[in-house]
Amino acid sequence: MKWPVMYAAWTVKHKPKTLADVVGNEEAKDRLVDWVKSWEEGVPKRRAAFLYGPPGIGKTVSVEALASDLDMELVEKNASDYRTEEAVQRFAGLASQYGTLFGKKRLILFDELDGITGREDRGGVGAITAVVKAAQCPIVLIANNAYDPRLTTLRYYCLLIEFRKPPAGEVVKHLKLVCGREGVEADEAALKFIAQRSEGDVRSAVNDLQALAQGKKRLVYEDVSWLAYRDRKDAIFNVLRLVFYGKSCEAVKRAVDMADVDPDMLFEWIYENLPYHLRDPSDLVRAMDSLATADLYRGRIRVSQDWVLTRYVVDFMTAGVAMAREKTQPAGFVPLRFPERIRMLSRMRSERQMQREIGLKIKRRCHISARAGTKEILPYLRVIFEEDAKMAAGLVKWLDLDEAMIEYLAGTKTQAKAVLKAAF
Amino acid sequence: MGFEMWAEKYRPKSLGDMVNQKEIVNRLKSFVEARNIPHCIFAGPPGTGKTTAALCLAHDLYGDVYREHLMELNASDERGINVVRETVKTFARIRTIGEIPFKIMILDEADNMTGDAQQALRRTMERFTETCRFILIANYSGKIIEPIQSRCAPFRFTYLPHEDHDAYLKRIARAEGVKLLEEGLNAVFEVCGGDLRRATNTLQAAASMGKPVDEDTVYSVIGRANPVDVREMLKLAVKGDFVGAREKLREMILKYGVAGSDIIRQIHIEVFRMKDVPEPWKIRLADAIGEVDFRLVQGADEEVQLSALLAHLVEAGAALK
Repeated sequence: MKWPVMYAAWTVKHKPKTLADVVGNEEAKDRLVDWVKSWEEGVPKRRAAFLYGPPGIGKTVSVEALASDLDMELVEKNASDYRTEEAVQRFAGLASQYGTLFGKKRLILFDELDGITGREDRGGVGAITAVVKAAQCPIVLIANNAYDPRLTTLRYYCLLIEFRKPPAGEVVKHLKLVCGREGVEADEAALKFIAQRSEGDVRSAVNDLQALAQGKKRLVYEDVSWLAYRDRKDAIFNVLRLVFYGKSCEAVKRAVDMADVDPDMLFEWIYENLPYHLRDPSDLVRAMDSLATADLYRGRIRVSQDWVLTRYVVDFMTAGVAMAREKTQPAGFVPLRFPERIRMLSRMRSERQMQREIGLKIKRRCHISARAGTKEILPYLRVIFEEDAKMAAGLVKWLDLDEAMIEYLAGTKTQAKAVLKAAF
Repeated sequence: MGFEMWAEKYRPKSLGDMVNQKEIVNRLKSFVEARNIPHCIFAGPPGTGKTTAALCLAHDLYGDVYREHLMELNASDERGINVVRETVKTFARIRTIGEIPFKIMILDEADNMTGDAQQALRRTMERFTETCRFILIANYSGKIIEPIQSRCAPFRFTYLPHEDHDAYLKRIARAEGVKLLEEGLNAVFEVCGGDLRRATNTLQAAASMGKPVDEDTVYSVIGRANPVDVREMLKLAVKGDFVGAREKLREMILKYGVAGSDIIRQIHIEVFRMKDVPEPWKIRLADAIGEVDFRLVQGADEEVQLSALLAHLVEAGAALK
């Protein structure tokens, strides 16, 4: 989502200045404050705090606000700063003293820890671990996933603090605050919609609010309800979950607008993934019947060219599938599957063409239609070509097959060569 | 030794060479003696000699130049009404030169012709009876419209009995120098029923493996030539493995190009044979099958419709547990 460059991003402009303004996560914030304050009494057992949780819920902001609240000097490092051992050692010295030259106490933050990956970042994590073990000032680490196996050793030296998604009500409060400062009068329903859609990601909620409300005096529900799903890479995933587990027809039908693919492609996604979700046989039957009905309308559209019927295709492939679920409970994590037959179809197209051409050759010789020839004789030819180059060579001449056909029937290049050699 | 498909190489050339379908052959022979034939329908399962009988009849009637008086058309490939209007009419109306005043048109796989095309054919048959006789070949005579049936002499072909099947394959094996064991022969009959084309193709493919043809060789050929079958797919569905059954279906349609209509016909037959489906469910399934059959004609997607049907089988299987 974009906005004119002359405006500052609201996420930055309205970033909480004090820890109290950070949305939700009261317990986590308290633990963080207590731990930082414990440094006053000397170096604690855990010299680093490890904050983890999904993106956009205020981990970094909390640390920044805390440093400001306690008037500490914050040294912030991002993944790009500590990719290698040397890079970490370059600022390791900072961590060896608690106080700064100007008497301020120091707080070191390693943000985006999951940013260090695999081979290129050799030694990075190890170097940080070494820094943590010897630290003379509080160090805060931040990552989305604290349980990444690469962080196992490091985790051992840290106080783990989990940050959770704040409830939608908390997010709404924050959005109201922002609206108040920006002079936007917003309906409660509109803010609620934005908050719910953001799924606890406060940063994305504020971004959405800016995109929708900037330059407006009033924000009403109609302004936001059309809004498509944030373009996340798992958009399809969410749309499918809605189709399989949604409860209201209206909401599920909107899946078509949310998905970033055309309805035919969405149909394929639903068709491919459906059986992995609706596992109860009766649910499966109802859902598949509904998809088949949607498909029936697609057929009618093809024949009649009456595109108005598309709305029924949408009804049955989305809401119809959702309403089919009676017994199946939402499954845990089910991996998303790419529509296999799309892949197969393109792979098979040339093969079908080849079969058809051989079928026509068979037809000329065997008093049989090309279609029946493909079905009834070609499979036996394949066995013969794979097994007996000499017999195959005779058939090559008799049927007048070309090289590509020989290779297709023989299966391998080596066998095709043997057949060709025997034939000519 | 020249190689061709043995099914063609050993296809009888004259009615006298045909070892089976005795009654039919005798009646056809009497046509040859009379130097006249009516329009005919040859109906019966595949590989029972329908096309062969038609070709032999023409051969015996016209002698070695029979091809000049004959046209073979495959309704599966050209089944539209335009073919009947143009190709068939053009051929039928031109008088042939020779002792016999009519030509023969063989319409193979005629049960795949559309209704419209059959209606057009009916008029053509009437108008050009003087110059052309039609032999319609079909698996199911019921798919030929009534008015055509009533204008034709019907011939019903049946699967070959075990002895005739064995005699035919043994003759080929001897001529080709293939060692065909008794157990191999029985396996071929077991799998192919009395379908001689399939039996001959199986024998030839088995022979290409270069060892005596025993039971194992035969089953290995069958397995390789028919990698997926409907029964296997239905079994998976009834067991509750919808995804597995759908994969088989996909393979059949996309990889082996099996027509949806063929799959549905087989499903219809198999469902009634299945032991692990509760009896009352079978008729409910037949309803679902019929609906899908109809939808396919309306241009719906074969895989989607058929897999919806598989879901019904999953449900039927679950009802038994």
